[in-house]
Amino acid sequence: MTKTVQSISTQSSANGAILRASGLKKSFRMGDSSVVVLKQVDLTIRPGEFLAIEGRSGSGKSTLLHILGALDEADAGTVEYDGRDIASLSARARSELRNSQFGFVFQFYHLLPELNVLENTMLAAMVKNSWLRFRSNKPQIRKRAIEVLEQLGMEHRLKHRPAQLSGGERQRVAIGRALMNGPRVLLADEPTGNLDSETGRQIMAVLEKLHREQQQTIVMVTHDRSIAHRADRVLVLREGRLEKPADVSKQNPAQGPDDE
Amino acid sequence: MLHSFTFHAIAAGIAIVLIAIVLVLRAPKIVSHLMFKYLRKRRIAWVSLVAVMLCTAMVIVVISVMGGWLRMFRETYHGITGDIVVGRQSLAGFPYYQEMLDRIQKLPEVAGAVPALRTFGLINIDGQIHDGVQVIGYPLEKMHSVSQFRHSLVRQYSDCKETLDDPKATPEEKAKAKSILNAPASFKHVYTDDLYKAIQPNMDPDTMPGMIVGASLVGLNKRPSDEAGAGKPDYIRPEEVDLYARWAQLTVMGVSDRRVSIDLRDKSERRFWIVDASRTKVWQYDSQTVYIPFDVMQEMLNMKETKVTDAKTGQEEVLPARTTDITVGIKPDADLYATRDKVRQIVDDVLANHKIEFFRDPVTTRSWEEVNAKFIGAVEKEKILVTMLFAVISVVAIFLIFCIFYMIVVEKTRDIGIIKSVGATSNDVAGVFVGYGLAIGIVGGAMGLLSGYVFIHFINQIHAWVGRTFGFTMWDAETYAFDTIPNTMNPKEVTVIVTVAILSALIGALVPAWIAARKNPVESLRWE
Ligand SMILES: Nc1ncnc2c1ncn2[C@@H]1O[C@H](COP(=O)(O)OP(=O)(O)O)[C@@H](O)[C@H]1O
Ligand SMILES: [Mg+2]
Repeated sequence: MTKTVQSISTQSSANGAILRASGLKKSFRMGDSSVVVLKQVDLTIRPGEFLAIEGRSGSGKSTLLHILGALDEADAGTVEYDGRDIASLSARARSELRNSQFGFVFQFYHLLPELNVLENTMLAAMVKNSWLRFRSNKPQIRKRAIEVLEQLGMEHRLKHRPAQLSGGERQRVAIGRALMNGPRVLLADEPTGNLDSETGRQIMAVLEKLHREQQQTIVMVTHDRSIAHRADRVLVLREGRLEKPADVSKQNPAQGPDDE
Repeated sequence: MLHSFTFHAIAAGIAIVLIAIVLVLRAPKIVSHLMFKYLRKRRIAWVSLVAVMLCTAMVIVVISVMGGWLRMFRETYHGITGDIVVGRQSLAGFPYYQEMLDRIQKLPEVAGAVPALRTFGLINIDGQIHDGVQVIGYPLEKMHSVSQFRHSLVRQYSDCKETLDDPKATPEEKAKAKSILNAPASFKHVYTDDLYKAIQPNMDPDTMPGMIVGASLVGLNKRPSDEAGAGKPDYIRPEEVDLYARWAQLTVMGVSDRRVSIDLRDKSERRFWIVDASRTKVWQYDSQTVYIPFDVMQEMLNMKETKVTDAKTGQEEVLPARTTDITVGIKPDADLYATRDKVRQIVDDVLANHKIEFFRDPVTTRSWEEVNAKFIGAVEKEKILVTMLFAVISVVAIFLIFCIFYMIVVEKTRDIGIIKSVGATSNDVAGVFVGYGLAIGIVGGAMGLLSGYVFIHFINQIHAWVGRTFGFTMWDAETYAFDTIPNTMNPKEVTVIVTVAILSALIGALVPAWIAARKNPVESLRWE
């Protein structure tokens, strides 16, 4: 335990945790009854790792990912980012975390239909910079967006609108948007869930390449076991708890559901 | 009160626009970017834009027409009436007016005072026009000190008015025109006696005084729109109806307080040459009034000083000269109501000295505003009523904007979740919709201002075109007293209207913006 605290205080050292969730609980009120989605979730994510969380539909994967990414709040338990409790931060500070430290990729791409590929990619930069600063930094911002889109093979579609793209292309743009501000953690919610298997494989190849070449920290949730197993580490979300998968072939003993 | 409201409205409008610009420049780029994207790509927003535009234009048009009408009313009636009128409703008039005039003219505030006669008569122009008219007797050579009546005279003044308006006229020409404009008018004959004799061999021109007729009475009307064309003046010219070659026979009845009934012996008839036409633009004057020299009329009405012998006692009695009105003009810096009180004091004093008291129909001394209060008050009330009606319409527009914005917020729920997921704050989200409302207010208000301006500018042409094409007339000269629709805009009123339009759009957008800002991003993102 002491060792863990030390590693947090040194923050992004190679062994330290970027994200640490402990004792997360979350339930939703449905009229009179309430559905308990997360019962007891403990999780540590280290810099540079590619973690997959596998679970049935409705098991609470998205809910967990949203809580990890400061988009939602747990009923109980804490999420620490770089050793700081996210819940203790102001709304503005949490917005800044989402803007510059986390990048979300969603199952349904969630691109803005009125914006073209380039604008969608620059979204996080448009949120980060005031109108005046955006104007003066536009060349660099544009360059960064095109660089990201080049990595994803989308640099030739800058002026296209989402409706003019295929599902796979849209997801690439969505990944580009998530990477725009150079986030430390990429949070992917069923990135292949809406794609055919071939396209899904291509998207997985993109994520793997990011992880391999740029040591991008990725947390991906999926219901698809074969997709999940392309990550370094796989955990299963079942009945509100994280478990090691039954098939341990992919498991490194040092990387259990949690350190302890 | 209205002044400070105006000031505050203008200040609020400028402040809102400035604050909005600063906020937009300092807010994240996404706020203005999405705002303009939604504005351009969401057609439904254009409905609210058009709503703001139409409301703004409508209120501007109505306020301008009503306000312009009111101003025209006041100016025109003031011009005709003079500043202060001493008068008696009864056509029998009142005596000792010369004594009153002498004393009134000595007041330092007074620029001039003249008697005027008023009655009703029958007219026969050239054996062609037969009509009942209001007859007014003016001492025209003195009228310039009390009213602007002379400027309505088509022959004597319209040329110099045109010269003054003509940008190409030389300074000398303008100076000459100005001196004519300031000089008194007259009833002098237009043609020589020989010419009149040639036109009417059996009439003696020497015995026929000059008469001024209302322009519409003799057909000097607005040219019908289908005849109007390039180069033709708006109104039919006196030359076109050969006006100054026409005679008029006027029949009036003298009225006296002494007689119980109207007596045929008081009937008086006389022929005149028409020497000019008057266009005051007030329908009742232009279509139903003729003007003759005061002296001539006083004689016709038997209101000059007369000696009578009482049939029973055989005693001789002098009846003093009478008039029905005294018109007083005041100096530009004099106080209207204080002067009126002084004039009233003189009038009451003179009547009391002569022990004259009219029980039924007293002599009153009123300002021009009081004389015309009936008309002006009606127009003022109408303006307030119409303004209120349109204020209600504006409230409806706010609700329309609210509904449309609410629809857009619901439609854009997912977008709101997305931009929050990349770090936008609730304030940023609210900013998108507040800015949206403000943009619609500013653009709609500006477009409304522009279209209102264009409409007002061409309102008479549009009205003529509608009349020509669909054959109906909305602006009836008989109802509205003027034959043209007023088309001047008051910059202050327009500023207030546009400011209120911007504020309305803003208010209509605030609640939906607040709803949008509060949206939980996680729930928004569950939408597909
Ligand atoms: N806002 C909400 N209100 C009520 N129930 C919710 C809400 N969000 C999620 N749930 C419920 O929580 C459970 C988990 O949802 P989710 O995290 O989306 O699962 P997954 O992503 O694993 O499919 C589901 O049963 C879902 O119906
Ligand atoms: Mg899900």
